[in-house]
Amino acid sequence: MHATTRQRLALPIALTALVALALLSLAVGDMRLSVSEIGQGLVDRDSLAGTILWQIRLPRLLVAVLVGAALSASGLVMQAYFRNSLASPGLLGVSSGGAAGAVIAIAAGWAGASLLVLPVAAILGALVATAAVLSLARKGASTERLLLAGVALNALLGAVTSYVLSQANVSFERNGQILFWLLGGLEDRTWEHAVMALPIVLGAIVLWPLGRQMDLLSLGANEAQSLGVNVRRLRRQLLVLSTLMTALGTAVAGTVGFVGLIVPHLLRLLVGPEHRRLVPLSLIGGAAFVVACDVFGRSVGGLRLGIVTSLVGGPFFLWLLRRSA
Amino acid sequence: MTTLSITNLSVGERLRDVSLELPDGVLVALVGPNGSGKSTLLQAAAGLLPATGRVVWRGRPFSAIPFIERGQLTAWVPQEAQFEFGFSVRSVVAQGRFAHGDDDAGVESALAAMDLLALAERPVNQLSGGERHRVLLARALATAAPLQLWDEPLAALDVRHALQTLVLADNLKKRGGTVLVSLHDLRVAHCFDYVVVMQAGRIAAQGRPDAVLTPELLLNVFGVQARLEPGLTLSLPSTSSA
Repeated sequence: MHATTRQRLALPIALTALVALALLSLAVGDMRLSVSEIGQGLVDRDSLAGTILWQIRLPRLLVAVLVGAALSASGLVMQAYFRNSLASPGLLGVSSGGAAGAVIAIAAGWAGASLLVLPVAAILGALVATAAVLSLARKGASTERLLLAGVALNALLGAVTSYVLSQANVSFERNGQILFWLLGGLEDRTWEHAVMALPIVLGAIVLWPLGRQMDLLSLGANEAQSLGVNVRRLRRQLLVLSTLMTALGTAVAGTVGFVGLIVPHLLRLLVGPEHRRLVPLSLIGGAAFVVACDVFGRSVGGLRLGIVTSLVGGPFFLWLLRRSA
Repeated sequence: MTTLSITNLSVGERLRDVSLELPDGVLVALVGPNGSGKSTLLQAAAGLLPATGRVVWRGRPFSAIPFIERGQLTAWVPQEAQFEFGFSVRSVVAQGRFAHGDDDAGVESALAAMDLLALAERPVNQLSGGERHRVLLARALATAAPLQLWDEPLAALDVRHALQTLVLADNLKKRGGTVLVSLHDLRVAHCFDYVVVMQAGRIAAQGRPDAVLTPELLLNVFGVQARLEPGLTLSLPSTSSA
């Protein structure tokens, strides 16, 4: 297909794929639902199909969509910020930071107090991780420096999480909850989780118009500034957006790796590096990718989301490293 | 009118108490040994470094100019041309119009001026070093900014494109632009209207080339013995339309 045709069709195709995968996600499960049953169930909440949809599958789908969009867009933002196409929330340790924050909140028993505690704890953890990455690897850092900083942070934050897990005074039930973060999954997601993740929509709206400025930034901060971009403000916006979106995604689904690496990368290969196209495509494509991974995991007997994305993403990442070497 | 006015500008130890006034319509060479502060001066003049002192563009203090207008008034070309992402040559040059609402005016002529039309759809991260520099120069041309600050634009270019770049700079000057170009080739600096010589973060001398680039100064600043004698002279053929 010609490049301009691909660019024009990419967004409609991504949207169609997302809608189709969303329908599939509502249909697949212990009880299979046909399209007409889904339609009926959505209208009649008291029917069996209605109960399944409204209590289980819709909140799960909504969380999957929001998490996918958030992680994918965060990856895109970090890649433009660090001018490095291998930057992503998982590799840089920002996801681990969010998870560590959430784990501490659960272990301390604060998480039950309010709906706000878990996301706020995840945001704080992710902010600490982002600050650490920034101080370890300056903007425009080499791949080696960036990845090494990520390795160090992931190890450090993993140690924090392991320490919390190994504390004898943490109850068995809480330990189970904590393991959930480490695995990353969408099991038993409720409307509460969907509400927790809802600010991701706000982040997407703020991010949407920044694409053009991200183009200029991704080719050099000084260059962008001399061309008329307020680089300091743009960087602050991008950093806050990527950290918040990663943290919220992690707060509701645990650590889900590789989404922010794979999706923007594939889209860049398909439609080129212009961020005005990549921002909306990453949001929608990331949502579609996570919904697809979730449907796949469920249909092969309950593979958790984080496992599926890592099974897909790990080999992809190695292929990327080999290609760029 | 004064296009660029710098007063007592200092950047840490790299640039100390530099003052410089450049009028409209002048082509200025910035020379000096490695590490003498040429790049720092260019970046500080472009407002890209935290500095003490005053930078005034066309009568307006730099800090009072909104970012978007800065992009309309000044173009800065870095010494390093590295691109991580594979934007097309045309789209990178079109970034020069960001401060003009992305109107694409002058993008094609900037591409043509730098011999880039044939490469227009190529990804910039697959170009050679000299080609990447031409892309950056074309982007600077596309901004149509009256103040052009170019950091060693000739170093990576072949002789023909180097000459073409100088002719372009001269055309910009004739249309009232101010072009400040850092250079290593002192023979090229001789063709400029004005020369600024840097040494250890300070301006050692400034003025017309024949008044400034004296054998004494060259020995003192660069540690070389200078003499004038006939040699190889290169120019663009008269049929060339550069």
